[in-house]
Amino acid sequence: MFAYIIRRILQMFIVLFGLSVLVFIMLKLTPGDPAVIMAGLGATPETVQSIREKLGLDRPWHEQYWRLVSGLFNGELQAMTYHVPVWQIIFERLPATVELGLFALLIALIVSIPAGLLSAIFRNTLVDYGVTTIALMGISMPVFWTALILMIIFGVTFRVLPISGRGATIGAWSFLTLDGLRHLVIPSLALSSVLMAMNARLTRASMLEVLRQEYIKTARAKGLKESVVLLKHAFRNAMAPVLTNIGLQINTLFAGAVLTETTTAWPGMGRLMVEAINRRDMAVVLGLALFLAAVAQVLYLLVDLMYVWIDPRISYD
Amino acid sequence: MRKFLLFVAVLGLAVAGMAAEPRYGGTLVIASSQTFKDLDPRVCNDVYSMYVINAIFDELVTLDPKTLKPAPYVAESWEISEDGREIVFYIRKGIKFHNGEPLTAEDVAFTFNWIADPKNASPNQTEYEWLEKVEIIDDYTVKFIVKEEWAPFAPALTMETTGIVPKDTVLEMGDEAFNVNPVGSGPFKFVEWKRGEYIKVVRNEDYWLTKPYLDEIIFRPIPELATMMLELETGGIDIADNVPAQDAKRFMEHPELGVVIQQVPSLSYFYLGFNFSKPPSNDIRFRKAVYMSFDATAAVDAVFQNLTGIRAYGPLPPALWANDREYLKTIALQEDDEKAKALFAELKEEGVIPPDYTAIIYCPPDPRRIQISTVIATNLIENGINAEVQPLDWGPYLDLLYRSEENPEGEYDMYVIGWSGGPDPYNFLYFLFHSDNATVGTANNFSFYKNERVDTLIQYANTTLDVDIREPLYIAAQRIIVKDIVHIPLYHYIETRGVRTRVHDYYVSPVAAMEIVSPFNNVWVEEE
Repeated sequence: MFAYIIRRILQMFIVLFGLSVLVFIMLKLTPGDPAVIMAGLGATPETVQSIREKLGLDRPWHEQYWRLVSGLFNGELQAMTYHVPVWQIIFERLPATVELGLFALLIALIVSIPAGLLSAIFRNTLVDYGVTTIALMGISMPVFWTALILMIIFGVTFRVLPISGRGATIGAWSFLTLDGLRHLVIPSLALSSVLMAMNARLTRASMLEVLRQEYIKTARAKGLKESVVLLKHAFRNAMAPVLTNIGLQINTLFAGAVLTETTTAWPGMGRLMVEAINRRDMAVVLGLALFLAAVAQVLYLLVDLMYVWIDPRISYD
Repeated sequence: MRKFLLFVAVLGLAVAGMAAEPRYGGTLVIASSQTFKDLDPRVCNDVYSMYVINAIFDELVTLDPKTLKPAPYVAESWEISEDGREIVFYIRKGIKFHNGEPLTAEDVAFTFNWIADPKNASPNQTEYEWLEKVEIIDDYTVKFIVKEEWAPFAPALTMETTGIVPKDTVLEMGDEAFNVNPVGSGPFKFVEWKRGEYIKVVRNEDYWLTKPYLDEIIFRPIPELATMMLELETGGIDIADNVPAQDAKRFMEHPELGVVIQQVPSLSYFYLGFNFSKPPSNDIRFRKAVYMSFDATAAVDAVFQNLTGIRAYGPLPPALWANDREYLKTIALQEDDEKAKALFAELKEEGVIPPDYTAIIYCPPDPRRIQISTVIATNLIENGINAEVQPLDWGPYLDLLYRSEENPEGEYDMYVIGWSGGPDPYNFLYFLFHSDNATVGTANNFSFYKNERVDTLIQYANTTLDVDIREPLYIAAQRIIVKDIVHIPLYHYIETRGVRTRVHDYYVSPVAAMEIVSPFNNVWVEEE
């Protein structure tokens, strides 16, 4: 197992190196010179050139790449347009996205698992059709649209929740204050809608699969109460794919966060990514891409290790 | 249209006039449609960060909103030498920065010399291309020396956008640290910048001009306009810097929502430009046919709903002297599909328009410009020319228009873009039409229009500061430009802001600044 973990960590570095080269090349090939964007309309060639030199954009590509990557590793790399080190700006924005993502996930699980369960138990009834239809809407409706609808209902019509922004915080966290918690409701509800729908459908499918297994028949034949059969035998086993899938949903969460954060003016990493790409701030884009990739890799590793714990038949040795 | 705007403005003032007496206290929340980038006036070149800079820093001169002429601010007066190469500013005594240091000639000279020095790579360097250096005469007097080729026309007006920074503090803190912890001498002191969330400033109790009424201002970036409008409607923000036409209409029709729409014609010009370097757009018959293919006035009215933009007939905005609007309106081409079709057929027959030709209209990622481009493309198709609209992000768009040494003719025929300039015709005509600005790399004359007569008229107008001499020269230049159909003038944007009725003494600046406390106003808010 230990050797496996070491191997995976080494693989992780190879993936990150490959990704850094890929992102760098994509940024260099994307039309739009950062110096031209910074100088704005009407700038003279001299102004653009002096900005280019200041940012090191006149150096050969390999030098630029090395300066960015080594700067990221030793923590000294300055963002091109934010006037602070890259890691500072990323870690400033991190708590907002983590908070939003976790709350969205929590809401999604609280709603989707019972919904999926009911849908499976009452298959082909009105309950099932209701849950499936709502889940389909959740998947189909863009997150920014859901956010706007929630704002209009709770912020404008009933005026019970703030429309945008993050509100008061204690340290870096807004859920610790009542004001912050109120600000968290609309964005996390909006973001949860996609996860909710996906997880409800997955729970339903997984539960239906388990209910067809022989051991469920055996449990019923033994005369166990239906609730025990469903909750103790079926539900526990049906949850394995749902829970492991959660670890893999970080990509969906982040993609949703980009839209949710922009619509609700939530100051997280998703919005930072959009801003940095628009400004062609290569240092921040590369830092964010590598950071997110590293987090995803660690989560995938944890999910793989969880399999061993869930299913003793699996071994990596 | 102008009468209507005046009515709106008067209505706004009337509503303001009905309120109680000014009071001290309260927080003003201003929403910006873009995130803030720089708080150091020496490097800031985006209008959104300027909202905050206006509150923290004082400028050498300010812009009188009524006359659009420079008015005294940190400089109480100035003298321009006869040859126009020297401008001496007399600085007001007793102004202090927020850290207690006095504002002196040394700070003024440091601010402007730093920007003009190419080694500092300030994006604002271009604005001060005319500046040779600033000399200190005594503690409260400075002399700006204008480069010979720019004299006597000294574009000193651009100085209304540059706040004075404290030299010693900047040197002590370093440029990057100062940019995120600015110290100015303005009506409000910087407190906190939570990036992506808000910037907070509080009242400068010792402000030299007057005591600001407001306790504090919160500047919030809200990138999604729909969200910003909901915040404005519910009182989450007090001022929205950008209101789409349909929302402006809604707020005007529903005064019970508590929002007043304030407008002022901005110093801007938006147009469809033609590439003069290659066929078919270098042929005047093609340009004429495109112009006659669509009803420009109807297109502008439809997109702006007669509220946030007015039809342009020439490059100078109506608020600017020498605009020649009435005459240019009489020579503007009208939609005439038959003539346009005939011209296109003629050009096709002569081979100027190749058989497989598709007219691509490039435009930036701005919904309004995309809509107008789509109207033009649709009309071209109806007149027998394949056409499509290609919106591009700003980076790739500027790359396209700046051209490259490998492809100096450029890869475009038609483009839709805009220009905002200072309150002088020079800022529009020189940058957009003079051959000096048709250079591969960073053009502003994206059409690469080169006309010796136009160059001479613009240059000659620059040899004097006498408006009576300059005005006819600029008018003559415009008439040539419009007759040559270098551009199809589309619209001038009307700066439109949404302001909650509890806010008083606020006015919209024609140069998109955010004036909260100035020699002309001191904003205050009613208690909620």
